[in-house]
Amino acid sequence: MGVRRSSFRNALTLSLGLALAGRASGQEPGVRLTYRLRVMAAHAGDTIEIAHAEVAGPLDTDLRLHLAADSAEVGALLSVLPEPDSLTLDGQFLSRRNVGRSRHGLPVWTEDQYQRAARMGWGRAVRVLPFGRARSGGRALWLLATVDRTAGVGATRPTETVEVVEPDVVFTAEAVARPRRATVTLTLERGDTVSAPRVADLVPDGPPRAIDFSRGTGAATMLQVALAYPEPPPPGRDRVLARGADEVCLRVNDPAGQAPARVICGRLNNVARGVPLAGGDTLFVTFAWPGAR
Amino acid sequence: MDEHAEWRARIGAAADGELSLPEQAALARHVAGCAACAGAWASALEVRAAMARSAGAPGARTVPRRRLGRSARRIVVALLIVGGVIAGWLARDWWGVAADVPVEDGRAAIVVP
Repeated sequence: MGVRRSSFRNALTLSLGLALAGRASGQEPGVRLTYRLRVMAAHAGDTIEIAHAEVAGPLDTDLRLHLAADSAEVGALLSVLPEPDSLTLDGQFLSRRNVGRSRHGLPVWTEDQYQRAARMGWGRAVRVLPFGRARSGGRALWLLATVDRTAGVGATRPTETVEVVEPDVVFTAEAVARPRRATVTLTLERGDTVSAPRVADLVPDGPPRAIDFSRGTGAATMLQVALAYPEPPPPGRDRVLARGADEVCLRVNDPAGQAPARVICGRLNNVARGVPLAGGDTLFVTFAWPGAR
Repeated sequence: MDEHAEWRARIGAAADGELSLPEQAALARHVAGCAACAGAWASALEVRAAMARSAGAPGARTVPRRRLGRSARRIVVALLIVGGVIAGWLARDWWGVAADVPVEDGRAAIVVP
């Protein structure tokens, strides 16, 4: 029995390694990955759907999910290691369970980190038991996960759709896709004067680019901007869940001044973020996915 | 020397049979209203009875004390057990408690049908 389990592990490890090597080579052109998750619950002898999500993106897109209910919560980073006729669904899990209370009446939590992997067919549903096979209390929850691949022409922008039917359950699903490019919209503001927005298509770790901002009749301001990937988070929860992997950082430098460079990071979600600069100016930065080529 | 020390000295003399009748009467009148002196008198008599018994006097007996019966002992033991259980429960509540769930049972699983 032990020999069979060991050979299965070896085969699984080999397939994970081969698939990871394949992923490292880049994205397969014209193929998009789609994760479909349905959060199911047992209710009065029946099964109901209490949330669902659909996340799609390039072939190297991962899925970061968070599910909390009753006295337990789980965060996971699901990734797909594609093969011609099947795929390996790999999950890095972080569980957090309430196991009791302290002498002061405060809740005591236990945290656990582990990995799960399973081979499945494209379009076939697998059952993910986020809180384990035997729940000590509370209601039974499970996820029906399906991974599919579809043809997509040059679309690098991931899409996310999450709908939670039951408000007692906290459920989020995010696409984790490393951006190859980013459309950066920059606006310089001083007091009531705002410059015209400047849009730049930047590549992470590419050369810096000088951008001129003109505000009304005043003198133009020139800033040097460069895009980079953020530093990897320290070992722990954020690294397991690949926090920051789907973010970019903009390094802003004023070549005329002596002030140190300012750095602002964020997801490509069209949310404006302000950076105070030396001299009273504020630079508003918006990161967005570039359009399909 | 306070008043009670003087009466205790008389109690010792009375236990040894050295007091006259008027002195014994005066001592009895005082002991009737003094619980401490009554206890001292009883102790003095018990000491002398114990000494006489150890010396081999066949008629010497210590004053019998009240003893619990078998049913009373059972009740006391049962009350002690119940009290211990309650104290343990309160201590458990005070010191906190962790559910005894195996780690593996709480871990996520991917089940392929």
